[in-house]
Amino acid sequence: MVVVQGVEVQDIRRVFTPRKREPVVALDDVSLSIPTGEVHGLLGPNGAGKTTLVKILSTVLLPSAGRAFVCGHDVVVETKAVRPLIGIVFGGERGLYTRLSARQNLEYWGALYQLNGGEIKKRTELLLERVGLTDRAGQRVEEFSRGMKQRLHLARGLMGDARVLFLDEPTTGMDPLAAREFRQLIGELKGEGRTILLTTHDMVEAETVCDRVTLIDHGRLLATETPRTLGSLISRFQRIDVEDAPDELLAELEHIAGVSSVSMQADGSARIEVTEEGATSIVLRRLVDSGVTSVKTSLPSLEEVYVQMIGERGLVV
Amino acid sequence: MIRAFLAGARIQLQFLRAYPDALIPFFTAPMFSVIFLMIFRHAGRTDLTAYAAIAPVFIALWWLALFNSGWTITIERWNGTLEMLVAAPSSFAAVILGRITATTMVGIVSFGETWLVARLLFGTRITIYHTWGFLATALVTLAAMAGTAVAMSSLFVLARNAVTFSNSASYPFYVLGGILVPVSVLPHWIRPVSSVVFLSWSADLLRAALRPGPMHHFAFRLGMVALLGACGLVVGVWTMRVILVRVRGSGELGTT
Repeated sequence: MVVVQGVEVQDIRRVFTPRKREPVVALDDVSLSIPTGEVHGLLGPNGAGKTTLVKILSTVLLPSAGRAFVCGHDVVVETKAVRPLIGIVFGGERGLYTRLSARQNLEYWGALYQLNGGEIKKRTELLLERVGLTDRAGQRVEEFSRGMKQRLHLARGLMGDARVLFLDEPTTGMDPLAAREFRQLIGELKGEGRTILLTTHDMVEAETVCDRVTLIDHGRLLATETPRTLGSLISRFQRIDVEDAPDELLAELEHIAGVSSVSMQADGSARIEVTEEGATSIVLRRLVDSGVTSVKTSLPSLEEVYVQMIGERGLVV
Repeated sequence: MIRAFLAGARIQLQFLRAYPDALIPFFTAPMFSVIFLMIFRHAGRTDLTAYAAIAPVFIALWWLALFNSGWTITIERWNGTLEMLVAAPSSFAAVILGRITATTMVGIVSFGETWLVARLLFGTRITIYHTWGFLATALVTLAAMAGTAVAMSSLFVLARNAVTFSNSASYPFYVLGGILVPVSVLPHWIRPVSSVVFLSWSADLLRAALRPGPMHHFAFRLGMVALLGACGLVVGVWTMRVILVRVRGSGELGTT
């Protein structure tokens, strides 16, 4: 039996050819499967290819090569079948009619998603309540805070009762509280069996809401795993922070197999970077034997995976 | 298709309330009327009053249709909604047609404005001698304007700054449509081009409805307005389809 995935990407390549400039490869043979009902994070720095992939999946951009499917429908040739199934939510200020009210925005998109008059009214009120905007429904969107706009974005993306949601950096610019509420909403949507592709450069967000995360950079997928497994990938890259270790000891540790670097931190502590499994225990034993007990090892977080795999520039967003 | 058309028309009416500057022709139409009437009166050509009565209305209506077709695309681009609009299940062309039709329908107000100015400032009474002929022509003209404007808006999808383009694109139609200057006084070589511009047929018919004599070949001439407007719409829908595939390929759909 063939299982239809929520999203299936097969060897997608997208090359942009700007005028009088060299072609830019935005996606390079990308393949990805997202089962129905999964919240999948696409994590990467700006320019990594995240939005390009979302645009291809939402039928507004054609791939240069390869194929992509949403609920089993080809996004290039079956646009009529794909479009009613998807909802698109972009982050930031754009994507809404700011001089119209929240209700007018939703009603318009409801009509474009081919709902009848009664359904539009019902769904508009339902979604306004769901995203907590009922009291502000008649107010112009230009008077909304960033968080309110983002919630309205999500409501707009849900007007068509999308089975697959593409959330492109949805919490950009939100304050932490608003972002947390937004993530709760994403959790509720997952509970309804919707497939969600969430692009982000926020490690905490990916770790909090995603079932699996794909790391992407320079148009290439680096890894697809659960947030926990991705973290374990760099367990060998463990960090050991020590205080009051003599210089001679630190110099000795630097020569232990598996220790990649020993560096001094601004607060006077030393950081020992370990790149091989097993090296951590040797370093710890040597430190304790030398009487150094102020030692801290760091558990890998998704952020560390991100930095290790994409590099420090990944944090510059 | 109809639902998309109505959704477009409805949101356009909401937009016109939110962006009243898009209705600037309501201020310029009476001004044009004053200018034209003064020129004709000064020249002693009161026989051309029908031109002065119709020209400002056509300028207002066509500007509204064309400007809004460009403005719609530009605003959608700036808003970041153009891509989402294309990705929605409804026909993009039907939405645009609905929006332009709503605008041109609102533009009917300029008939009343222009004729009120003629009456109040110049004491000139504009009489409609062929009421049904006038109404039918006005209705078909509005539909033809919307259809033709869809063809133009498909081209505006390609333009980065469609508003500027749509602003300047209106003038050739004023000349070719014989809106103020009769086509008969245009150079011979340009007349065949003029005959495929629906505005020339509808302007002639509306002026004829303001004269006491019979409206010759009414059905044929009205049919030509409808045919040319329908051709504009068919070309527009087809071009829109082709251009959307093209910009999906080039990645320029949402480019501002």
